[in-house]
Amino acid sequence: MKIVVCIKQVPRRDDLLRINADKSWIDESSLSFEANESDAYALEEALRLKEKHGGEVIVATLGPSDASKTIKEGLAKGADRAIHLCDSTFEKLDAVATAKSLAAAIGPEAPDVIFTGLQSDDLGYGQTGVLMAEMLDLPHASIVIALETSEDGKTLRVKRELENGWFQWISMATPALVTIQSGINKPRYASLKGIMGAKKKPVDVRTASDLGLNADALTPREAIGSLYLPVREKQTEMLEGDAETVAAALVARLRGNGVI
Amino acid sequence: MPPLEREELPFDVVFVGAGPASLAGALHLANLVKLHNSSGGNLGEIEIAVIEKGAEVGAHGLSGAVMDPKGLAELMPDFLERGCPVEAPVGKDAVMYLTGSAKFTLPITPPPLDNHGYYVVSLSKLLRWMAPICEEAGVNIFPEFPGQSLLYDGDQVVGVRTGDKGIDKHGQPKENFEPGVDLLAKVVVLGEGPRGTLTKELTARMNLDRRSDPQVYALGVKEIWELPDDRLEAGTVFHTLGFPHSGEVFGGGFLYMMKDRLLDIGLVTGLDCLDPQIDPHHEFQRFKTHPWIAGLLDGGKMISYGAKAIPEGGYYSIPRLHSGGVLIVGDSGSLLNGQRLKGLHTAMKSGMLAAEAIFDALVADDYSSDAMLRYSQKVKASWIDKELYEVRNFHQAFEKGRMAGLVTNGISFMTKGIFPKRLPIHAGHTRMRTLKEYYGKTDVQKYDLKFDGKLTFDKVTDVYHSGAAHDEDQPCHLKVVDTSICVDRCTEEFGNPCERFCPAAVYEMVGSGGDRRLQINFSNCVHCKTCDIMDPYQIINWTPPEGGGGPNYKRM
Repeated sequence: MKIVVCIKQVPRRDDLLRINADKSWIDESSLSFEANESDAYALEEALRLKEKHGGEVIVATLGPSDASKTIKEGLAKGADRAIHLCDSTFEKLDAVATAKSLAAAIGPEAPDVIFTGLQSDDLGYGQTGVLMAEMLDLPHASIVIALETSEDGKTLRVKRELENGWFQWISMATPALVTIQSGINKPRYASLKGIMGAKKKPVDVRTASDLGLNADALTPREAIGSLYLPVREKQTEMLEGDAETVAAALVARLRGNGVI
Repeated sequence: MPPLEREELPFDVVFVGAGPASLAGALHLANLVKLHNSSGGNLGEIEIAVIEKGAEVGAHGLSGAVMDPKGLAELMPDFLERGCPVEAPVGKDAVMYLTGSAKFTLPITPPPLDNHGYYVVSLSKLLRWMAPICEEAGVNIFPEFPGQSLLYDGDQVVGVRTGDKGIDKHGQPKENFEPGVDLLAKVVVLGEGPRGTLTKELTARMNLDRRSDPQVYALGVKEIWELPDDRLEAGTVFHTLGFPHSGEVFGGGFLYMMKDRLLDIGLVTGLDCLDPQIDPHHEFQRFKTHPWIAGLLDGGKMISYGAKAIPEGGYYSIPRLHSGGVLIVGDSGSLLNGQRLKGLHTAMKSGMLAAEAIFDALVADDYSSDAMLRYSQKVKASWIDKELYEVRNFHQAFEKGRMAGLVTNGISFMTKGIFPKRLPIHAGHTRMRTLKEYYGKTDVQKYDLKFDGKLTFDKVTDVYHSGAAHDEDQPCHLKVVDTSICVDRCTEEFGNPCERFCPAAVYEMVGSGGDRRLQINFSNCVHCKTCDIMDPYQIINWTPPEGGGGPNYKRM
């Protein structure tokens, strides 16, 4: 079974965010980065499928050169090789362009299963996986919280999380794409031996032109105009005095505002 | 848990703790081996590993810091060309004496605090810059792997066991349990910083401190502030004495201006106070209320927090730095110069000397205690020894208070350390007085400052800004041998000082009456080691939590 897992490197969730000088994005110099949470679960799911069915796990990452840290972690945990989409053209893509780029890199691999996380913790579109499925003409299931495979690995049975405590079990034939929800499993740690071994595993670095893409094809259909922190506008007025005075003052105030 | 077969991974040399000493040592050793092999030597490939408990290199690196580049320049003469992230060369440099409401600038900066030619740096940034350079030279760096214990063959150290991962709070393996591995090494180098876990264990086992004085520590508590304008030029360095400390407390404040309008501000407080009520974090908050400092910070924003113990004992507290198969470097070996408030240069130099001794040992294929002695001899013959010897009585002189300390150190400086003769020193935990002895009563409230959330912050808010995090479902890494002491004896004698000396609100007495007990909020821990050092009963053992836990310093 050939499995591709898409992993994005995102700022650590508990980092303190500061907006950069031109308000176009957060100041990345004061951040540390890690694998997107749901992507880490997706990787674990992929490694378990490989343990059951054999085959290989390929990590696919679109990101700057220091995303290699997250790629190495994936290889250390047990992925066999990686594709790193790394090129200035790939900066600040929207979900469509990201999906297009990843699809161009992954498509020729003809994997049996593609896993992505449910959404990225930084931008949170939740679209990249499903868009990629459409572009590659694959069936997909999103927000998956349990996954079973048939003995021959040709059928997936997945449990999707719906609204209001409802769930849905569906079966689908491979090849297919599945977006994984956090909590589906217990991700493993990278072992020291795994980290040593990861150094020798191949990482295929691709640019946009390697994939036959150019800046025009990747022009985002949306862009961030400006970032700002929410301004706290709550105004609390304390009414002082005994219960009677406070009640009277409250009624007067509510009448004055036309509430009652 | 059942005993398990642990995997063994063979290395040649393992450094514990990716601080300045270990990284300098690992890089220097890799360079020596490369040079040797390329000039006809036959050592072949030497596998060097550095293990680090933090989530990444630099995450636990905290220093003031003003760096004397002496050590780094020996390691890498072209460090500036290679992009060393210095914040700024030291520019304006002054020492102030603070009273509660005023400041007096010393007309001349005392020579030990004259920082011209040095650089304001962030240790966490410096380490993050050094790590890839080490890796390029072939060094293996493993963040998220703490050293759990040393491996011995008789008394010869033969490796390090890394910490287990994936153990739940009851001590049972979780689904993703990953046992620690045994890293076998010809030589282990302990660069764990102040009060290292393995260093403490080794020192006790091998009696390495039998000829040295006890170590004495101070605690540095620090915040980084973003200032609203260019009111201080990058490279500005201020040191302060006096407020908020009373005359008997060792310590002082520092303000170092970095790039990007970021100011390092911190206060060092001796952990050898007589007063059982001392709270170094609270002292630091009071420090910021001084009108001059409050004015400097006005309109600014606190963005980061951290705390770390500093070994102040100096020369006479240096333990034997070697034993069979093992060397001790940097702060772990008491190689910091307390008078100059600097230890980065000596740490790096000690790492390099360790590398040279190890290189000789590799060539001779002899790692016995006698072979390791080469390192102690090299330290003895180096400028580290000379520098520390001249200020060998620095901290001791303050045991009788600030004025006595300043006068004695003035004499010492003028006589190049000839006078006074060796002064006694006492481990901090033995100096702490009981409430009755110090205050004459047990019902004491030392502090009355209310934190305003703008200039002054409570511990929980500050800890949040340290990025400290630990997986909650793991055994508590702070081992208190007997918590029954906390409830009665300690409350009565010292008033539970752990609640105050810990700068991260880890220790908390909760409940009342018969349900009163010690609650340990270990997830807050910033790995400063103060509890292990200052607990008057010495029943708190700081052990490394699961790898990757702890603070996440970016620019400390």
